[in-house]
Parts: sequence; structure tokens; C-alpha cells
Amino acid sequence: MSEVALLQIIGLCVVGVGILILLFIKSMFVRVVGFVVIVLGSFSLIALGVPQMASLPPAIETFDIASVKTPDDLASIGQKIFFSKGQCALCHSIGPSESARCPDLAGIGAKLAPEFLYESLTSPQSYIYLDFRHEGVPKEYPARMPYINKNPIALSKQEIYSVIAFLQKMSGEPISIKVEDILEPESEETEVASVSVHGHE
Amino acid sequence: MKGPLSTTAILLAGMYVFLKFILPLFTAPLPASLIYLYLVLTLSATMIFFTMSGSSLDSFMGPIGRFLAGTDVGGTAKTARLLVLIVFPLLVGWQTYTRLAPSDLPPAENRTIHPAPPGEFVGLSNPYPTNEQNIQEGKGIYAANCSPCHGPNFDGKGTAAPGFNPPPANFADPGTIAQLQESYLFWRIKKGGVGLPIEGMPWKSAMPRWEHELSDEKIWKVIIGEYDGAGQSPRTWEEEE
Amino acid sequence: MTYQISKNPMTTIPAGRLLCLPSLLKWGAFLALFLFPAFALAQDGATAAQAVGYRDIPGLGSRNIIWVIAQQHLLLAGFVLGVPLFAWVCEIVGWRTKEARYDKLAKEFTKLLTSAYATTALFGGILLFLLIAFYPKLMAYLTDVFFPSFLVYSMLFLLETATLYLYWYGWDAMQGNKKGFHIFLGLMLNVFAFFIMVIPNAWATFQASPVVIAEGTALERAWAATWNPTWWPVNIHRFIANIVLGGFICGAYAGVRYLLAVSREEREHYDWMGYVGNFIGVFGMLPLPFAGYWLMREIYQYNQQMGITLMGGFLAWLFILQAMLIGVLFLGANYYFWLGISHRIPGSEQSYKKPILAMLVVLMVCLGVWMTPHSLVASLEEARKMGGTHHPLLGVFGVMSAKMTVSNLMILVTFMSFIMYWRAGKQETAGWAKVAKAIMGAMLVIAGVAVIVLGVWGYFVPAIVRINYFSVAQVLIVLFIMVTFTPLTGLLMKSAKTTTEMVWGQMPIRAGYSLVLNAVMVILLMSLMGYARSSSRVHWHIYGVMRDTSEYAYSPALGYAAAFMSLNTFVFCLLVAFIFWVASMGDKGKGQPKPEAEAKVPVGDMTPAMAGGSPSSSYSQKG
Repeated sequence: MSEVALLQIIGLCVVGVGILILLFIKSMFVRVVGFVVIVLGSFSLIALGVPQMASLPPAIETFDIASVKTPDDLASIGQKIFFSKGQCALCHSIGPSESARCPDLAGIGAKLAPEFLYESLTSPQSYIYLDFRHEGVPKEYPARMPYINKNPIALSKQEIYSVIAFLQKMSGEPISIKVEDILEPESEETEVASVSVHGHE
Repeated sequence: MKGPLSTTAILLAGMYVFLKFILPLFTAPLPASLIYLYLVLTLSATMIFFTMSGSSLDSFMGPIGRFLAGTDVGGTAKTARLLVLIVFPLLVGWQTYTRLAPSDLPPAENRTIHPAPPGEFVGLSNPYPTNEQNIQEGKGIYAANCSPCHGPNFDGKGTAAPGFNPPPANFADPGTIAQLQESYLFWRIKKGGVGLPIEGMPWKSAMPRWEHELSDEKIWKVIIGEYDGAGQSPRTWEEEE
Repeated sequence: MTYQISKNPMTTIPAGRLLCLPSLLKWGAFLALFLFPAFALAQDGATAAQAVGYRDIPGLGSRNIIWVIAQQHLLLAGFVLGVPLFAWVCEIVGWRTKEARYDKLAKEFTKLLTSAYATTALFGGILLFLLIAFYPKLMAYLTDVFFPSFLVYSMLFLLETATLYLYWYGWDAMQGNKKGFHIFLGLMLNVFAFFIMVIPNAWATFQASPVVIAEGTALERAWAATWNPTWWPVNIHRFIANIVLGGFICGAYAGVRYLLAVSREEREHYDWMGYVGNFIGVFGMLPLPFAGYWLMREIYQYNQQMGITLMGGFLAWLFILQAMLIGVLFLGANYYFWLGISHRIPGSEQSYKKPILAMLVVLMVCLGVWMTPHSLVASLEEARKMGGTHHPLLGVFGVMSAKMTVSNLMILVTFMSFIMYWRAGKQETAGWAKVAKAIMGAMLVIAGVAVIVLGVWGYFVPAIVRINYFSVAQVLIVLFIMVTFTPLTGLLMKSAKTTTEMVWGQMPIRAGYSLVLNAVMVILLMSLMGYARSSSRVHWHIYGVMRDTSEYAYSPALGYAAAFMSLNTFVFCLLVAFIFWVASMGDKGKGQPKPEAEAKVPVGDMTPAMAGGSPSSSYSQKG
């Protein structure tokens, strides 16, 4: 017997008990309980009567360098990171959006060089807007952008590169990130990141 | 005989005849689940109305109670009661049997036509502008790849369409692409039927997975051509103009 | 009907995991033993605490336990936060009008509140222990983000408890010239209660719609996370829903007491209390769909995937069930009004038959449209005839434009039901009454037509225009009717002379049951939407940020979920019944009402209303 059928039988029994209570028991409180039981049992039966479907989680995907053959592969990995682990889409949109709290990234891959994009992600405070709309020293507007290569998001250099590849593709640009770029040894990654941070300080 | 009980019976019968036989004269027949739903609503309405006051409650429930309890006098009532006692269990048995009996019909199903896309396809926007050149290019790709099923007039009536169940989407219907964002179409074209989540029943869709045939650029342009050809505009959160 | 779950390709995981039926069966026994947190910890106690992402109780399932406890806590909390609001309003009404029965009613509400408060906190504590035990990784993350608001929450809880004690135990002591201070206490009670709701809402909504937490102090981070896109929509929605829950539960309480009542006084009192409870519930229910619509819109805007999962995807059928429950609730509330007209106002039965029938037909047609799904359940043969699972004609009922239209119409009809009840048994004397009534009638017709026209027109405009203008316009039209009709009718009634006195305590048994039904529907609805909120996050603890990697990452099927909701509802009802029973035990001791005492007691006497200490004459003055 399937689980649905078993649950249905339980539901029917519950409703039956409720009906029996209403038929044979005089005590008002018990009758109210019986009534509630009938209502709840019927609700469950109705819910069991519609097509049943559980929603299963998708398989957990990992970033596998070996599977990357073309820049397009890189971009499709970047696409996944953009909308999940990278948390970019929590603030940014691609294309106009009412809910986006940060700049629209449509066409950004065509506007900005990949090196600049990389720096914006790993050292967001490098270029800070200044507010001159008042007397005295201009006020700094620190970017609300978090450091993508540090906790809690902490993308690796490869992951950041693939996101840049995705951004270029989404702008209708040829992808300038090469597959070889992400195959570079890991040690260099930390160096690039630290250099740009130091450059700001 | 005129009373709440007979009114209810007439109303229910009338409703059934209307839904089952009269409405299909003008449109497609209704599925049994929907007819059942409307009959239940009709029955609840009459019950609510007739239990409003004590007197109508009596005339509604009274005959049923008297009939079942056997306080009705007369030979016909007795025979009828006996008949009910025999027929009702048989009905229940028949119902149970038809439910459990093996059948060659597939189960009634509830396929979600537009399930939620995977996260990475949700926030995309078309990188190519809607201009005459892109529209023409998109329509060209459409004619070559899509029109055999979705039809040269974007109405889902391509030459190959009759072979499919469910039929190919009719883009001219305001309930299809006009309700969706471009990113949604991009996902469906790129990943095809097999890319659907289970509530969309991927095994039922014959939509090919175009990512191996068409580049992303071409898919975006097909989308532009499709909306133009079907005379629809994509759903947006921004107001246009 | 056939069911798909058993043998088709979608059940690729073991069936036992999908439905966990054995665990459901064990619940009965388990709940009898009651939850003991140490038991939960015992299972994996030996594992190193650092590396553990999840703990579980095999057989029962950590998620199921959390499900039940969280639901009980939330329902109790909803009641505890909803009741002080109208208890306070009732107290003010009693204070202003000098009618003792309102003060008594407010006190009775507060008594229910006091007894439910401790249980709410108890369940909150259990929930916290279990969350820390079962989901250490998630809780560590949330603690890291929200640490400052935990402190504020604890502070508020202390303040709320102190205020509640003062409010309840000081009730009789603060009658007379100290009443103003007591009212102020009531206000503070509600302010604290509101923020006690708002802060955990931030935690829950952050899970559904997180924002990126940049660098900053603990306070800055918590503040940023608190202001997530769905925070205020949920706050407003829950705030209104709590009033509805509180109102209908008080109504159900009165309904049960009415059914159990033996004396005439008791019947009169609980009939009236049931009326007030139902009124509060309906009053809250009218704006609730608007708040829900706003929340839905924000979710859709925040993330299209989540929006589609809810509205058109995996959870589409849930909204048909929701429509059914809301439909029954609307019908139940109206039914109670109509019963009130036919039974409390002698001789009015015939004259109101026609308008009631008209309203009923409109409600039923609306409900029929609302419950028609977009994708129909159909056999292969039927689907082929329809050309898909969308019906060519009735398919138009399945989309948002139709649902919005009918829900607005149902709200309008329910409002008119209330107006009709208000005016029943009275004769307007004002000279302008005829004109006013004609204008109101015309306005009503115009409003109804306008709502329908906008609904139909909504099919032919882009979605964004419909959502931003048409739906908003429909809501505004209905709100406008409510805002103008209420004072207008109030003015009319002020000068009206009562032709037929309302007689309390004459309601049939059905009325008591319909009050209970309404409460059950509200509780079920809240459970259902809790499941929806949780399932819309699909396989994420924190949407898009922290993935649920436990074995419970899947969302259970609707039928299994509904069985759990029913179980939760039943447990909650029993719990509430038990709490109320305990609360009323105190009255029975002092309670046997002494007839001669009634004449002596001053306004705002100390005789508990529950013991039937109210003079019956005051009830017949109710307008």
C-alpha cells in the first residue's frame, strides 16, 4: 500500500471517529472535539486528493577545473556562482529591476576591463566616491560591496574569473578570460589579491 | 413537491447537466475534477442557505432524518428505504472497485506548465537590443528551428505539432510568453524539456535542448523575434516608455 | 482519482523518506510523552560539537519535531500578540462609554492571554533548545549575524512580562481614577508585543530574503540583515493575521462556552462574546488579503524563482487549498452574521432572505472562480480534449487577475454582510436617510462593476500595468467603500430608532459550531502558510546563501504536509482548550453567582464575567 493510501485510510478513520462521536456522544465538549476532528480529517483528505509531489533538491555541483574546455564553460560556471555562492544577485541585477539595491550589471562586461572588475570584487574600496555637496572636506562614500575573496563569501580566484567571464558573455562581449588563466597555481592568487589591497592602503 | 430538499436536488441536477452537456457545446468539455468541485460548491451553498433558519432547516434535514429513521408512513417509503440500504453499499463497493481496478489509462495528472527556473537563470536579461536587425535575425532562426512545431504564425500550429501531447506552446496566447520574462524563455530554450524540474514533468515535454545547436546569442535573438512575431511583450518589473 | 506518488519516475528517493509515515504515526505517542530536549541531545552527544552540521532523532526526524514545536509556538505567539490589541481597545471602549460589560470582556480576554503567555514562552524555549541542537551550523551563522538583536529581544521579553503582570494583576486595583494609567500600561503592552513579533520576523525573513552582509560592527551587520526586503511585508501581514487569529479563537472560546452554558446569563454573555470575537476576526480579515498580496509581490520582486515556486510551480496547489480555507472562513463568518440576523432579531427572517441569498450566490461564484486551478487535474483523455491542462474557457479563471477580482468582491460582500447586520432591526429617522441609502447603493454597484471591469481589462494589459495599477485600484476601491460606508452608517444609526430589540442567547447550536469552524480554519491557514513560507526557500536554509545539506532538504508533498498541519492544529486546539480550562478553574471556586450580589456591585465590579455575573438587562441594549 502506498503512503498516500495509508494516510487516506488514517484520515477516513479520523473522520469516522468524529462522526461516531457526533452520533452517539452527548457531552457537548466531546462533540465539539468530534466536529473539529471531522474538519481536520476532511482537510487532510482533500489535500491528499490532489496530485502529490515532493520537491527534491538539485544535486550539489562542484567547481571542477577538469571539465572546463572553453571560455563558454567558464561562463556557465560563473553564471551559477553569480546566482548562488557568490551572492552577487542578492544586490545586483542584470537588467533593470525595482528590487535591486546596487548597480545594474547589464553591459558591465563590455564597459569595464576584466582587471578592473577583478579589483572591484577583491578590493571594493579602492575607488571611493566623494561627496562635495557640503562645506569643508568632501565626505567619503565607502562602497557597500563586500570583499568577495574574503569571508563570508570567499570565492577563489578561479571562481571570480569565471564570474567575470559570465559578465562579459552577458554583455555580448567576447570572453577575454582564458581557460589557462584559471589553471595558474594557487599561490599567485593570494598575491594578486594582496597587491591590490596594499595598493589602496 | 416543493421544498428545500427538492430545490437542492433540482439545482444539483441542473448544474450537472449544464456543466457536463450544455457548456461543452460552446467550449472544450470540463474535466471531472472541475465538475465535482462546482457541484460541491453548489451543494454547500444550498446547505448554508437552508440551514439559516430553524424552519427551513427542519424542512431540509427533516425528510432525510424521517426517511432514514423509518418514521415515514407508507409502503413506498419502506421499499425505498430498503432499496437505499441495498444500493448504497453497492455504490460504495463499485466506487472502491473502479478506483482500485487495474486500468490501461494513465493517472490523472497535474503538470505545472511554468515551473520555477533554476536560480542561475532567474536574473538574466537580454544582452541584445530589440531592433529591426535582431528581430529579423531572430525570426530567421525561428523559421529554421522552431516553426516546424511552434508554427510559422507563432500559434503552436506547426506541421509537426499534431504529433505531440502536450501540444507545443502557442506564443500568441496571452497566457504563455506574455506572462514570462525573457530569462525564462532563455532557460526553456537552452535546457529544453529535460531541463524541467519534476513538477514540470520533464518526461512529458518534447522540447529539444537547444544549447548544443544554438549559441546563447542566437537564443537571445530568437526570443526577440518570437515576441515580435507573436505580438506579445515580455513581462517586466520596469515600466516601459 | 489516482495518485501519482507511489509508482512513477518522480519518486527516485526511498518512499519512506518522502513521506516518513512511520514517524507520523509515532507522533501521537511522542506528543503524549512530551518533548524532552535532553533526549534530542542524547543521540549524537558523543560527536565532536565543532564539525556537526546537523543532529537528528532517527525515526521521528529533526525537521518534524521542529515543525510541530515551531508551529505551536507561532500559533500561541500569534494569539498572545493579537489578544492584547483588542483587549485594550475593548477596555478603552468600556472606559469611554462607561459600559461595564466591555471592561469585563477586556478582562476576560486578558485572562486568556495571561494563561497562554507562559505556554508560549515555554514553547519558545523548547524551540530554541531544539534549533541549537538540531541545526548548530545554521544557528551559529544566524547568531553571528543577529547577535545584538538577541539581546534586544531578551530585554523586550522582560519588559513585556513585567507589563503583562502589572496589567493583569492591577486590573481591579486600577479602576476609577487610575484607569488612565492602566490604559497606558495596555498601550505599552501592545508596543512591546509588536516589537517582540518584529524582531524574530527579521530572523525568519532574512532566511527567505537575505541581503549581503558587508563588513561593519555587530550592530551595523544586524541592522543591515534586519532590513531585508520582506521584513515589513511580513510584519504587517503577521500583525493583522494575529488579530484575526486572536479574534476567532476568542470567538471559538465563546462558542464552546455558549454550547456548554447552562444558565440564561451565561448563554447571553457568551453569545455576545462570540459576536465580538467574530466581529474582530472579520474586521482583521478584510485587509488581510491586501497585506498578503503586497508580501507576495515583494517576494516575486526579490526573487522570481521564489515567486514562481509559490504561485505557479511546486506550490501552486497549495494556493488552491488556501483559497478553499479562506473561502470556508469567509462563508463561516458570513454565515454567523446571517444566523445572527435571523435569530437575534425576531421576525426578521423573511425580510432578509433575499439579500442573504444574493450575497451567498455572489460569494459562491467568487469562490468557484478562486478555486479553479490554472493547470487542471485531468485524465489523458480529458487533457487531449482540452488541448492541454489549461481549459480554453475556464482557464481564464486560473490567473492572478481573476483571483484578485473575486477576492476583492468577497471582501466587499462580507463587509456588506456586516453593514446589514448593523442596520438590522433599526429604522432610520434622519431626513437624509433615503438619499444616503440611495447613494450608498449606487456606490456599491459602481464599485462592484469597477472591480470586475478592472479585472477583465487586466487580461489585456501587460502584467506590470495590472500589478502596479489595476490591482492597486481594485484594492483602493474596496477600501474606499469601507472607509466611507462605516462612518456613514454609524451616523445613520445614531439617529435611528430600534424597531426590534436584539435578543441574545437565542442562537442555534450551529452558530457555536460555526465559530469553532472559523477558528480551526484560521489555525489551518496559518499552518498552511507556514509550510508555504518554509517550502518557498526550497533547499536553502538561507536562500541562496546557506544550502540545506541535511537529508531533510526536500519539501514534503502536500498531502503529508496537510496531515501534519491537521495534527498541529488539533494539538494546538487541545492545548488552548486545556489552558482555558485551567484558567476558568479559578472562577468556579468563587464563582457561584449570588443573585443579591449583583445589585450591589458597582461599575467594573470584580465578579468574573465568566461566572455569569453580568446583569442580563445590559445585553439587550447592545446595538
